[in-house]
Amino acid sequence: MGGRALILVKGLPLPKHHIFTDFSCNSSSAKLLRLRRNNNSWGRRNFSTWATNGSSLEPPDVPRLAETARISLAPHEVEEFAPKIRQVIDWFGQLQAVDLQSVEPAIRADTQGDNFRDDVPETFENREAIIAAVPNYEEPYVKVPKILNKE
Amino acid sequence: MLSSLQPPRTLSRFPSKPIYLFRKTSLKPLSSQPITNSTLTDQSQSQTHSQILSIRHSLLCGQLTATQLVESFLTRLRQTEPHLRSFLHVSDTVLRQANELDEKIKRNEEVGPLAGVLVGVKDNICTAGMPSTGGSRILEGYQPPFDATAVRKIKELGGIVVGKTNLDEFGMGSTTEGSAFQVTANPWDVSRVPGGSSGGSAAAVSARQCVVSLGSDTGGSVRQPASFCGVVGLKPTYGRVSRFGLMAYASSLDVIGCFGSSVEDAGILLQAISGHDKLDATSSKQEVPDFTSQFISLNLLESKPLKGLRIGLIRETLDDGVDSGVNSAIRGAASHLEELGCSVSEVSLPSFSLGLPAYYILASSESSSNLSRYDGVRYGNQVTADELNALYGDSRAKGFGHEVKMRILMGTYALSAGYYDAYYKRAQQVRTIIQKSFKAALDEHDILISPAAPSAAYKIGEKKNDPLAMYAGDIMTVNVNLAGLPALVLPCGFVDGGSAGLPVGLQMIGAPFDEEKLLKVGHVFEQTLQNCRFVPPIITDDVAS
Repeated sequence: MGGRALILVKGLPLPKHHIFTDFSCNSSSAKLLRLRRNNNSWGRRNFSTWATNGSSLEPPDVPRLAETARISLAPHEVEEFAPKIRQVIDWFGQLQAVDLQSVEPAIRADTQGDNFRDDVPETFENREAIIAAVPNYEEPYVKVPKILNKE
Repeated sequence: MLSSLQPPRTLSRFPSKPIYLFRKTSLKPLSSQPITNSTLTDQSQSQTHSQILSIRHSLLCGQLTATQLVESFLTRLRQTEPHLRSFLHVSDTVLRQANELDEKIKRNEEVGPLAGVLVGVKDNICTAGMPSTGGSRILEGYQPPFDATAVRKIKELGGIVVGKTNLDEFGMGSTTEGSAFQVTANPWDVSRVPGGSSGGSAAAVSARQCVVSLGSDTGGSVRQPASFCGVVGLKPTYGRVSRFGLMAYASSLDVIGCFGSSVEDAGILLQAISGHDKLDATSSKQEVPDFTSQFISLNLLESKPLKGLRIGLIRETLDDGVDSGVNSAIRGAASHLEELGCSVSEVSLPSFSLGLPAYYILASSESSSNLSRYDGVRYGNQVTADELNALYGDSRAKGFGHEVKMRILMGTYALSAGYYDAYYKRAQQVRTIIQKSFKAALDEHDILISPAAPSAAYKIGEKKNDPLAMYAGDIMTVNVNLAGLPALVLPCGFVDGGSAGLPVGLQMIGAPFDEEKLLKVGHVFEQTLQNCRFVPPIITDDVAS
């Protein structure tokens, strides 16, 4: 319910009606949507703390990471993920103790590669099949919902 | 009766050697034919032979039609699949393709070296007109408009794609429990995991649901399941095989690899898929030698066939934390190599343990970038939303599973401004150290050996909720990906567990582009290994009952 309240405060049109018409066939989608909005506000709030704390090695701020990675996480997922991610990141930290002065980074395996072909565009022969896989298509455009918000 | 057919002893296209057609019960349909004394006698031979060569031989000699052959596999597949769940999709055109092949053979037309060979393909490798989901809900129902280069090559040589095998979602996992669709069971004990992420491909070959299969190996995803399922798994040198059509997880580490029930089959499959591809700039122009010409049959082997070969046993891989049964199987394998004429000495790779965190930093970071393509806009499943960012976020939230989300989030963290130097760059520096230490060890030795995993197959659910315990199981394999080296895993012994014991795999690591040596040594090892038959009970029990 908090999610819907938030949407109403933001003044988006017909949130209740919208949610329950478009998502009534799939209650989990509706739930995800509500929770996502909750999250974003949480993410932003935490972000301010994050930013003022400078660039020392801070523990991961999961809502912020989820927003950056464009994955809508429900609050219970954030609670579930946070300790696990923190545990793994702590474990990553063991590399801080290794003396790596003057060691060059290797971007990949030291085998052969970089056999670039000429930079000439080629038309994929099965173009129709690629377009057929687009979930929402209106010749000649891939259709997506609005990109700009009023806010 | 199929098992009574006796093929002639030579075949023009391949080196002549005795071939035991349908030596294994595995090539017979389950239960439809009673087991006989003669079949049992055949099975008592412990040598492992190439199924691909047997198939080619019997097809060309007219002793078996492709239709009969394919039907025997499909029957077994149908009977074992409810217990194993190795396949996410089984092709409905297999019989038609077999029929076409029979017509070709009747007309005396040339057939390719993989004619009639049923190939399982890991579901993160694209197959035109066949579902390719990567084990993820976000691609449920997706059918790519193209074949991966490896798949295209297999088809051109006559291979038949039998279906798409189960995996941990996008290759992220070590048990195949991370598939969005089903959990695959180990054919040696169905209460255990087959390993992962290519668990479906390994289980399918182990249970002889197909002849060979393709997997992918980013941190051990071919080698560890090969060890758990008692089959041969080959991870080629980075760049040996085109990655075009492989759903990218960590592009600097990913390779397509091969599973077979014999070293020879794995080598023949590697031969088929190797070589430069203009669609993958990281694929190498290095010449591809004939991997299949060097397999010497057992009766032609000298008493010390591997004389002079220098083997290094990696000390750090037999430390505490490695199962004692695995430890003794690997030491037994080392003695066996000594008996074959090798000189075996211990070698230390001091940076070995650093490989694990470095691997997980690099793989997570690269995956967070690679998986950004799954946004629900151009393909895959889209959640309806009233605004674009919500469409991305909700489609990805609904489409990705737990482990994938976790790795994307960890990778996003490691690549964040201010953290990049501390994590991603440091991991790349560790990669340099690991590459150098392998190079030094391989200057002194022809081949390095180690276990492929610290234990044999464990129970389904055992490590599911402990990411660090799961990651620790990859210690034997990730360093090899960081260095881009080729490695062959082949069954070398058993530990207690299940009704028939659980297989243990020996990992052999070679110098870049030296798959040839690994296959040669692996083949001699396999042919001379006594008293070990790596045919799982799910087949033999059913046949006996």
